[in-house]
Amino acid sequence: MALFWAAFWCYLAATLGAAVYTGTRSSGVRFVVFVVTLAGFAVNTAALVARSFASGHPPVTNLFEYLSFFAWAIVLGFLFLWRRKGLELLTVFAPTVAFAMMVMASLFPSEASRQLIPALQSYWLWIHVSLAVLAEAAFAVAFVASLMCLMGDKRGHRKLPDRKLLDMVAYRSIGIGFPLFTVGALFAGAVWAQKAWGTPWSWDPKETSSLIVWLIYAIYLHVRRTRAGSIALTSGLSVLGFLMTVFTILGSRFLGGLHSYG
Amino acid sequence: MTLWFLLAAVVLAAAFLKGFRKWLSSMSGAVWILVALAAMSLLGVMIGQNLPPEAYTERYGDALGGIVYRVGLGDIFTSWYFLGLAAVLAVSLLACSAGRLWKLARVGGHGRLSRAGSLLLHVALVVILAGGVVTAVFGFRYPAPIYLWEGQEMVVTEGGFTVRVDAAGTEYSSEGVVSEYYSDVTVIENGEEVRSQRIEVNHPLVHNGVGLYQHEMLPSATSVREVLFGIVMVTEEGDSPVTSVAVPFHEEYTLPGTDVSLEVLEFLADFTYDIQTRTASLASLRHRNPAVKVRVSEAGEFVADRWVFADTQAHRDDSNLPCRVFLFDYLPDFDKGITRFELSRQPGTPLLFIGFAAMSLGLMLTFWTRGTRKGDPLDES
Repeated sequence: MALFWAAFWCYLAATLGAAVYTGTRSSGVRFVVFVVTLAGFAVNTAALVARSFASGHPPVTNLFEYLSFFAWAIVLGFLFLWRRKGLELLTVFAPTVAFAMMVMASLFPSEASRQLIPALQSYWLWIHVSLAVLAEAAFAVAFVASLMCLMGDKRGHRKLPDRKLLDMVAYRSIGIGFPLFTVGALFAGAVWAQKAWGTPWSWDPKETSSLIVWLIYAIYLHVRRTRAGSIALTSGLSVLGFLMTVFTILGSRFLGGLHSYG
Repeated sequence: MTLWFLLAAVVLAAAFLKGFRKWLSSMSGAVWILVALAAMSLLGVMIGQNLPPEAYTERYGDALGGIVYRVGLGDIFTSWYFLGLAAVLAVSLLACSAGRLWKLARVGGHGRLSRAGSLLLHVALVVILAGGVVTAVFGFRYPAPIYLWEGQEMVVTEGGFTVRVDAAGTEYSSEGVVSEYYSDVTVIENGEEVRSQRIEVNHPLVHNGVGLYQHEMLPSATSVREVLFGIVMVTEEGDSPVTSVAVPFHEEYTLPGTDVSLEVLEFLADFTYDIQTRTASLASLRHRNPAVKVRVSEAGEFVADRWVFADTQAHRDDSNLPCRVFLFDYLPDFDKGITRFELSRQPGTPLLFIGFAAMSLGLMLTFWTRGTRKGDPLDES
């Protein structure tokens, strides 16, 4: 848990640094944010690896582990964009999103048991959940880009990155996340559900919520293709898609169903 | 006059169908179908599915709860309007795919792979829907879980065989945590034992296309490992303070410092009593109203047999007994567990998986290859 908290504080410090950068636009501050984020990412990685060794299974078996892994994947997604010109303000908010996930993770029980419950004892756990996390991390990158799109006005807000560039980042991220989500969350999930429950699809709340996420991004892609939709509309859909993603992650906690593991 | 009216109706219907067909194959048509599907799915998640009618009236009030139940929102995913919308989606996908195929054949060169991927994923979606239809028409799934215990048999009519549970139990890790639920079963066909297999979670038995899937394991409904009683000794000087004792099932236990002994004769996880036949039995296999039948003896002499319930004193007015007995708790017996199975045949599943695989490949080709999807920024207009 010490490593988790170390990553937590690193992301918090980097989030505060991001706030300072937003006001000052100092490249020195951005560098510090980068270093602290990287430190947080390294510690987050170590925390996940240590937990995997300690428990003997991938760190994706409860909400605490899932959200910690999600925070890690979000930072990874943003790190790919860190050196991209024009996206300085976007990437600096990587630790902020990761920190939000770490806060949520800290609200759930963190006990690690070496023994998985019978339902989770399958290699499909790793395939299904890790691909879903990576897809959702790509959606998170699109979410921040789209949120900035919505915040800027039509002519382009002076202090925000170029809207067209942000729109492109959102589109590319969804272009990575959507196939991953289809393969990991839906396809691998259906194969595993058939083996475990005798049916590939049960209209369980988490399954249905995942389908809604998929439908929202499918709508996004169609609207974007028609060019009838404005950036505001597609950005709105991208934001909605990510909010639904978070609902899907946390929803089984209060909606129950076959996916309510902890 | 009637003829003119009919002719006008046919022309109008044809015009409507032509417009509808155009709308179905259009991008905006697809968007609206997806929006409607997402909205209905969200409604399904928020409302809660397959609950009893009382649950909806309790949650939404008499009027709204009644409407929710009557219009089928409580089982929205099998409602005619949801299935109808899925059918409209299938038609739209086919129309769209035909257009894409035509474009792919006509337009060559740059982005062919991406276009092919896009076509593949749209066709794959139809295959997935077809898989769902095949399962809905030719498959089945038992609406309620099946509970069996050691020695019991069940006829699986749909598969033409009988399944017998030879053993059912729970395995624990060294930490004492449940590590596996298992059921050793034998399949009997035409009076002959044809195969024996251990079924575990994630490791089903599939025979003649029918799958038997291990779910949870309930503790025995008729036996326990140990019962924790609260005891108050009744003496001439008055009642003693409450002490707790753990009494193993079917073993005589002498209360410390006394010549009074207790023996747990029976256990019922959900006690019910038939007044006419004067017999106690199980109302269900769930531990809803646990009760134990305890024999009280004193100095080796039988005193009485009494049913003791959780939170209630067994024999409030029974002054003959040397002690009062309360049921505090008990250790459930998982060794003689009740295994819970799901039984289903899903003949559309292979089609569904082929569809999913094709859709995944289609998406990768569409988004991860160099092609037409350059991701151009949108126009501001």
